Amino acid sequence: MAARVLDLTLHLLDRQVVDQDGGLVCNVDDVDFLVPDDGSPPYVVELLTGPAALGPRLGGLLGRWWVSAYQLLGQRHDREPDRIPYQLVTDVGSAVTVARTRAELGIHPGEDRAREYLVDRLPGAGHESG
Amino acid sequence: MRAADLLGADVLGPDGRRLGEVLDIRLVQDGPKLGGSRALSIQGLVVGTRRTASHLGYDRAGVRGPALVAAVARRLSAGNRFLPWVEVAELTAGTVRSAVSELIPVPDLPDQP
Repeated sequence: MAARVLDLTLHLLDRQVVDQDGGLVCNVDDVDFLVPDDGSPPYVVELLTGPAALGPRLGGLLGRWWVSAYQLLGQRHDREPDRIPYQLVTDVGSAVTVARTRAELGIHPGEDRAREYLVDRLPGAGHESG
Repeated sequence: MRAADLLGADVLGPDGRRLGEVLDIRLVQDGPKLGGSRALSIQGLVVGTRRTASHLGYDRAGVRGPALVAAVARRLSAGNRFLPWVEVAELTAGTVRSAVSELIPVPDLPDQP
């Protein structure tokens, strides 16, 4: 059987990560590659999430502001992203499924504070659209 | 190395001529064993000059959508090319140096499960 082929931005980046019960874990904001010393192709070893992962993708001044804004809103005092080892990924489909819950992975709740202060205050945030 | 280090990086030919920028990273699941499956290793880079339409996948993945949208997206991404990873000569901050001056058409993606 041929090995699976996919494109990073089409099939992996910005996808929701869920646990095996369908519970929300995070979004895939970036990935980390290991670059082998023997010259073989780099391969994905970690999924990265959080403002410190998304900021570099936005790039430039906007990216730096993004990271700083989340530091103010959340409880983070470091600039490192949350990391999910790729060996915990069990499926890549419309969502990425991992074999741990968000709590087990220790994914930072900083985004919840941003949601509380920004998203939840938008008109209509409290009910589904008709 | 993060994907953010590659995405948007300038791609230069062996003579220094700019070939485009990295729009996407093609992965194939044939890397070392990680957990219960093989790792996603880099097969090559999708290189182009117009980022807008490429993210929709009309140029690579047989995405079906409104005919007019598809036609415009394909027109915008007609110049996209593919740089196999074996032809990457050098990686420096923000730049990918290709060992070849002519890139190949972007291979279609197989249907996703």
